[in-house]
Amino acid sequence: MFEKILNWLLLRPLRAKRLKKRFLQCLESEAAEEFLEMLLKFMSLAFFVDRDFRRNIKDFNGRYLFRSRDNSITVAVVFKDNRMKVCEKELKDTDVTVVFRNGRALMGYLLSPKPDILGSLLRQDVTFNGNLNYVYKFAYMAKRLQLMATGEV
Amino acid sequence: METRYAKAVAYFLSNKEPVFFDENLLAGSTTSKPFGAPVYQELTGMTIWPELDTISTRGKNPLILSREDAGELNFDIFPYWMERNILEYTRKKFNNPDCMRLFERIVFFLASKAGTLSHTVPDYKKVLSKGVEGIIEEARTGEEEIREKGVNTPGDRHSLAFYQAVQTVMNGVLNYAGNLSKKAAELARVEKDPSRRENLLKMSEICARVPAKPARTFREAVNSLWICQVAVHAENINMAISPGRLDQVLYKYYRYDIDNGILTVKEALELVGCLWLKLNDNTNLVPETSEELFGGAGTVPAVTVGGVDENGEDAVNDLTYVMLRVTELLKLRDPSLNARYHYEKNTEEYRDRVAEVIVNTRAVPAFHNDIVDIKVLENQGTSTEHARDYAVIGCVELASAGRSYDASSSIIFNLVSTLELALYNGKRPATGDEQIGPKTGDPAGFTSFDEFREAFESQLKWLMGEAIKLNEYFGRVHQEILPTPLLSAFFEGPIKKGKDLIHGGATYNSSGATHIGFADTVDSLSAIEKAVFIDRKCTFAELLQALRENFEGHEKLHAYLVYKTPKYGTNDPIAVKNSQNLIRFLYNFYQGHTNYRGGKYRPGYWTMTNHAGQGKLSGALPNGRKAYKVFASGITPVSQAAGDLSACLKAVGGIDGLCIPSGEALNLKYPSVKNNGDIKTFAQAVESYFRYGGLHVQFNIMSYEDLIDAKNNPEKYPELLVRVSGYSAYFKDLNEAMKDEIITRTAYDLGTGKAVPFPEEYRSMLAFE
Repeated sequence: MFEKILNWLLLRPLRAKRLKKRFLQCLESEAAEEFLEMLLKFMSLAFFVDRDFRRNIKDFNGRYLFRSRDNSITVAVVFKDNRMKVCEKELKDTDVTVVFRNGRALMGYLLSPKPDILGSLLRQDVTFNGNLNYVYKFAYMAKRLQLMATGEV
Repeated sequence: METRYAKAVAYFLSNKEPVFFDENLLAGSTTSKPFGAPVYQELTGMTIWPELDTISTRGKNPLILSREDAGELNFDIFPYWMERNILEYTRKKFNNPDCMRLFERIVFFLASKAGTLSHTVPDYKKVLSKGVEGIIEEARTGEEEIREKGVNTPGDRHSLAFYQAVQTVMNGVLNYAGNLSKKAAELARVEKDPSRRENLLKMSEICARVPAKPARTFREAVNSLWICQVAVHAENINMAISPGRLDQVLYKYYRYDIDNGILTVKEALELVGCLWLKLNDNTNLVPETSEELFGGAGTVPAVTVGGVDENGEDAVNDLTYVMLRVTELLKLRDPSLNARYHYEKNTEEYRDRVAEVIVNTRAVPAFHNDIVDIKVLENQGTSTEHARDYAVIGCVELASAGRSYDASSSIIFNLVSTLELALYNGKRPATGDEQIGPKTGDPAGFTSFDEFREAFESQLKWLMGEAIKLNEYFGRVHQEILPTPLLSAFFEGPIKKGKDLIHGGATYNSSGATHIGFADTVDSLSAIEKAVFIDRKCTFAELLQALRENFEGHEKLHAYLVYKTPKYGTNDPIAVKNSQNLIRFLYNFYQGHTNYRGGKYRPGYWTMTNHAGQGKLSGALPNGRKAYKVFASGITPVSQAAGDLSACLKAVGGIDGLCIPSGEALNLKYPSVKNNGDIKTFAQAVESYFRYGGLHVQFNIMSYEDLIDAKNNPEKYPELLVRVSGYSAYFKDLNEAMKDEIITRTAYDLGTGKAVPFPEEYRSMLAFE
């Protein structure tokens, strides 16, 4: 109950609704430059407002670093104590580092229902260093979020 | 670890749901579904995690996964294995080694060791004759002997744990069979249909006896074998766990039952048909990426028939013909049926019957040359008697059945990647400007073909070394965390030695490395030799420029490379020399390496669908193949490059088979085989190829037009079976690149022995167009 009240006090459901809209717009846009930012914001809020979704990070510890190939974007994501923390900085001792060519490439890897796999491999759109299972888990959560946003689950 | 893992497998088997779906006469199922995909989260199953919500609706080969099952995998099962599956355990233990990162780039080599023990032939003869209780007794005796002697060394402790593990896991098999028996009886009690009730009662009775005790009848033997195959998959991934020489393993029971009026041929056909259907009850669980690149494969449980027996005499029997007939009638993707043919011992009647079945199914079985195959195994140190008792693993690989643990798919190596590394001084177009391999020099400065060949061989040695290093790492990790007491119990050697298979318990050991892009590599080497250093049609720099530009603006040079340079599959001496040199070089390299089980590495040339996927990731090649086009399959010449069948068979057959101990796949295509005369000609061509020295050949009896129509109208051909490169697949399940590769394979007119012209309007499908 306390959690529900807090969510309403902080307008989280409303913010989540707005973010969902922006997230969907981002998915439909050509450039998708804001994809990672939108995804992480929406994911972060979804963990607050959706109990089922939050179950994904229960007792989960994971340290991710997302970096664009041109180093213009560096985002650390840490899952700890049933929470998700995002900050724009380098992170040491990551479980996995994800290097992506651009926002669209990362989106294609994580979400596209019909990804251009051969093209993606040839362009080396997304590369990883570290434990791939952490990538798989993150990709599952991102996909789930997309399905939630589109009302498919 | 043996004890712990055995307990886990035994627990799984003891609690595995006994399910009966249909009228099949055999009890037991690989999964809880009529057709299912086991997950194997400790091995490769985690790759499916991102698709848990979408796998049921994905475009390529969807698999139905309930929300409950997806939730269990997401919340309970996968999180537990995040740090524990074989890949990540290996990464951590060996500090994320370079060889693993090369493997993860996909475009250099694949290391199937992550799929743990697979690609092998268990000794089912043993379980049929002794029963699982007999195996438990053997292990118990082993344990007692160790205890009596005193457990003094780490080896003694390991053996003790191994013997205990075998007993534990065998009890799991007994529990599963017991549960099947009880469930069948329960279902029989409420079954109203008399025929189905009778079948359930019979299955209940059979499972109460086998595999615990020795089989007495053909039906008991077949069901016992099937339950053991299910059990093996509880421990080992469902990739080419091959039942072996079933016409030999089951013949004793068949003969006895027929002679004593217990069984009719019709009933035998039905039972074998039921086994064939059961062998199709499972598939591999792979993500959509893999389906897109390499999809369409079944689980390839190879069944072998025919050939000679351990004394070198004709082993073909009535059951061989039963199995051929069932294959002909059912036309299933699995089991992958392989017909051994010994042209000095087997009859022409048998040879022609195999050919007839191929014609009627248009694809199966594959033919194997007994004379050369046996010599190949003898050359690897297998005794003559054991070599004669070989069976085919998965696609085309050879194993002394139940004695030899060969892990024949340990390495899948892309030969073209090393050719490109040599062309671009240690870099590849697919990996951009990154220095991948050693700097072997800019070929533009090379003054002789030998200089380039040396650069190529340096790259080969380096990359094959990396692939072997990774396989060794995986092997050590398997030894540490994933032993295989169950499979070990179904092998000759482990119980005698007191050693798990993964520790070298089998009588014979080896690791297999198969190669992608053989023909394209050979033709490219020949093209470089001829164009740059003999005819001097271009400089190496000009050739490299043409490759970088995918021959755009270099049409004259391209035409010369395609039509005027030596082609493997013809009698051109340069092509013959380069093919034989490459085969010998690879053989010598691999044989110089000993694996973690004490066996040699063995090269082979079969590619499944990898030649299509890898081709789509590779740049233009000196033989005129354009960028991102498929490679030729297996050991088969490049499509449309070898215009004369006889020369082709002579060239491929002329390669020293002793240098190909992990098998080869030669894919041939005839547009049609119309009558008995044609079948005879067809069979005679196979024999000629075998007399030249070829190891294996498989066919698609389809015209270009048939296949193009099947690609354009898949709904008209829902069950069109094709041979890919060592196994069968339904054409509709293959990715587009693989379909194109099969379509463009050279089709030969059986009457003239000449290549049938490829339809002009579809020439853009060809690799050099």
